[in-house]
Amino acid sequence: MQRDIGKPLFDLVLLVTSAAAFALSTTLRNVEIVGDLSASFFPKLISGLIFLLVIPCLIKDIREWRATGDGSPASQGAGSARNVAQWGLIIVLAAGYILIFEAFGYIPSTALFTFFCIIGLAVISGTWRQLSAMAQLKSVLLAAVFAVTLAVAVFYVFTELFEIPLPD
Amino acid sequence: MKKLLGLGMLTVAMTLAVGGQAVADDYPTKSIDMIVPFSAGGGNDTFVRALQPLLEEKLGEDLVIRNLAGGGGAVGMSRAVASKPDGYTFLAASNAMLTLEAMGNVAFSHDDFDFIAKVVEEPYVIAVGGDSQYANLKELVQAATSGTTLKVGVSGVGSSAHIAAVAMANRTDAKFNIIPYPGGSEAISAAMGGHVDAVVLGGAELRSALESGRLKALAMTYDQRSDSLPDVPTFQESGYDLTLTVWRGIAAPKGISDDVRQKWVEAIQQIIEDGSYADTAANLGTQLAPLYGDELDTFIEQSSEVMAEAAGDLAQ
Amino acid sequence: MISSYLDGLEMVLQWGTLLAIAGGTLLGIVMGALPGLTSAMAVALLLPVTFGMPPVMGIGMMLGALCGAGASGSIPAILLNIPGTPSSVATTFDGFPMAQKGEAGRALGLAIVASFFGGVASMVILSLLAPPIAEFALRFGAAEYFSLSIFGLVIIASVAGKSLLKGLIAGLIGFFVSTIGTDPITGVDRFTFGQLSLLTGVNLLPVLIGLFAVAQVLKDAFEYDPHQRMQDSGHRIDIARPRFIETLRHWKAIVAGVASGSIVGPVPGAGGSIASLVAYDQTRRFSRSPEKFGTGHAPGIVSVESANNALLGGALIPTLALGIPGEAATAVLLGGLMIQGVTPGPLLFDGQSGTVYGIFVAYLVANVFMLLTMCLGIKLFIRVLMVPRKQLLAAILVFCFIGVYGVDGDVFNLFLMLGFGILGYFLNRYQFGTAPVILGLILGPIAESNLRRGLQAFEGDWTPFFTRPISVTFLVIAVGLLALTLWQNHRSNRRPQTASGNEA
Repeated sequence: MQRDIGKPLFDLVLLVTSAAAFALSTTLRNVEIVGDLSASFFPKLISGLIFLLVIPCLIKDIREWRATGDGSPASQGAGSARNVAQWGLIIVLAAGYILIFEAFGYIPSTALFTFFCIIGLAVISGTWRQLSAMAQLKSVLLAAVFAVTLAVAVFYVFTELFEIPLPD
Repeated sequence: MKKLLGLGMLTVAMTLAVGGQAVADDYPTKSIDMIVPFSAGGGNDTFVRALQPLLEEKLGEDLVIRNLAGGGGAVGMSRAVASKPDGYTFLAASNAMLTLEAMGNVAFSHDDFDFIAKVVEEPYVIAVGGDSQYANLKELVQAATSGTTLKVGVSGVGSSAHIAAVAMANRTDAKFNIIPYPGGSEAISAAMGGHVDAVVLGGAELRSALESGRLKALAMTYDQRSDSLPDVPTFQESGYDLTLTVWRGIAAPKGISDDVRQKWVEAIQQIIEDGSYADTAANLGTQLAPLYGDELDTFIEQSSEVMAEAAGDLAQ
Repeated sequence: MISSYLDGLEMVLQWGTLLAIAGGTLLGIVMGALPGLTSAMAVALLLPVTFGMPPVMGIGMMLGALCGAGASGSIPAILLNIPGTPSSVATTFDGFPMAQKGEAGRALGLAIVASFFGGVASMVILSLLAPPIAEFALRFGAAEYFSLSIFGLVIIASVAGKSLLKGLIAGLIGFFVSTIGTDPITGVDRFTFGQLSLLTGVNLLPVLIGLFAVAQVLKDAFEYDPHQRMQDSGHRIDIARPRFIETLRHWKAIVAGVASGSIVGPVPGAGGSIASLVAYDQTRRFSRSPEKFGTGHAPGIVSVESANNALLGGALIPTLALGIPGEAATAVLLGGLMIQGVTPGPLLFDGQSGTVYGIFVAYLVANVFMLLTMCLGIKLFIRVLMVPRKQLLAAILVFCFIGVYGVDGDVFNLFLMLGFGILGYFLNRYQFGTAPVILGLILGPIAESNLRRGLQAFEGDWTPFFTRPISVTFLVIAVGLLALTLWQNHRSNRRPQTASGNEA
């Protein structure tokens, strides 16, 4: 069994969020309509149900976590620092991409995003260090060509051929 | 790569620079954005897409339709308000703007727009199932004022049809149990299936249902009878003071130059005069009702007051 | 009758019309294959093009787009575990595992042929039974919609994966998300926090792309290991071909797909998104080997894909027979019909004009073009998997952005997509699953608004939900299926123990 503290933690997050959602649901404005259950009925019902159903999950997952506790190495389930860094890289780059999407226009933002995705993954995964300076330059160039080609091609296909407007 | 990127940046910079300048005689010089504040497939979208090739021909540039849906039109309209009045961003405007404003859901008002033209309009129609016991408006009102609560379907809570239904109930003193459906087609199928006693919707949405006889129209909200629905009496002739229309047209963010406005008005005038849009408008169940300039502004002011008043009724 | 079809055939068998249908089909295939871009978008883009055309030509072009998009949604679902549309969610259940075994070509071959059969069968049903089915759909009032949604929610149990409890929680999360926005009955703001984009609720598309595509990219990024690449390029191109015989062998799955597409598909506003899930669920439930589903089992793909294209015919039924479009794509199509001067309604079917038969034949031809194009393209599609991982991950995200931004042009939806991507990653990682969230999101509003709409219409009376025949039938079936699932779960929980006991 894998030891992953994230599993019970995620349950805990769900538990807290559902409680907060329930509290928020009780503040909804009430409008009287004949026969109606009110706008807050379902939000309260659903968040309450989630809260109740998460409790047994949390208990089970904590038990599992403690049972697999000592023997197995922690890194296996949660992933190594490298895995987490690769995962985080994509999220950070995607968030950045959204922020510059309309401000920079489609082609620059897409090219930048694609380029940093490819190079970033190479650096974090470790293949980068094994390359000679020459090979590094070559892969930077290749990534750049790929990024720009993708951005330009996609932009023209969508705006010209399909007439789907993209930020310019 | 840097060069290309730089080129991209340069184009962006140039677009911005051009956008800021006053519009020259050779307007338009690049493609024009038309914001449709609803998803593809709605009445607003179909109206503009049908107009698109004709406008492109008259203006000599591409018209790019941008569906900026969300918030019942609020997202797209807010975006239109926020864009530069450089003649390259327009809005497919309709009642929805006045409805949103009247319901107090948005930060803008119709004063933040320059209205270029009203192109088509349609009435709100109250319709019942084809085999309904109510043969005319009088019978329906009579039933609804003497103890029966009528179930009346509308499209969307707080929609203009919803407001229209409330206005109908108030003017006729009828008792309506107004049931909002997610859209016009759901409301129509509920009326066809007998799940509601009546529906209040725009004439275009009801067109095919009325033509096939599955629903029958009892009254509509024009001030006089229309060519598209010649047999349907108005509320006015039944003695109720109620005039409301669903209109669609083109608006721009406030501050557009007179040259641009003139160019657009001329283009739309030509399209209407040469009859190229007439069939399409009729097929869509709307009728051409062009209005420009001061007359249009007066019309918008009036409609906005009626909507605000009706929305006030809804809030009660 | 036959002469009417011949008239229709004559209208379609002209170079211009055939070309228009082929063009529409091609556009539909491209749009459907890109996550986020929908068939509604494809039809809307074609709308202005069709104005100058004669009715059958213009409508044929739009039908081609619908048909192409309906079939090609399976491509990213199978190859990348990314459903392009809600209706191809279920394609990922067996399509992706089969692709992971190196049999992507086989999965595509099955999907293409099943789509074709589904499309053709639904055309036949549409032309023969449209008016009575449309009448049946009209009998759906609030009570019936509510019961239908409850019937649909039971499917969560089927797609929940290992833990029924966690699947249920995931479904409820989707249900809760669906309550965000303006309340459908009272108009009260719910959890919008002043965000305009949320006024009409959370859009399905960014959530779908987030939960499936972005979550999958995050998983791939997490597991990305440059040293593994050499091993897993074992995709065999030679097995990539249309699989007529193999698909026909799973005729029961085709029947389930066509039936659910034709029965659930026509219900306006509810059917389109769940017909394929219903088909998957039924095929699995009545299969002799339900445990094979989810591991790359052929009937799983066949049922979903035949339902996917059958539901197009299903959705056309109320559109053509009543003028009531079920969802966005048919709504645009209806606009196109009306601009052409074709008024949908019962008269269209009795009419002498022959236009409606032209439409049927055009739809059939569109299916043939779809089959041909997909068969030609199949070896090309697989090459997507040969793109190096890093570049592929970046490109997938780029297309997700286009899909989500292209439809509504709203940057807020991109944030929504990323947020749901992160949520989806954790949901998958901790065995909650993401498919139940989508089900909750689609069916939640139908359940809530119709329960409340019904209570409003019946003035607070609950009994019609249990006395109206269609409503009670769905409820009884739902309870029955739930009981069956619990029993099957109970049995399969015991079986592995005894099996391992035998081995020991």
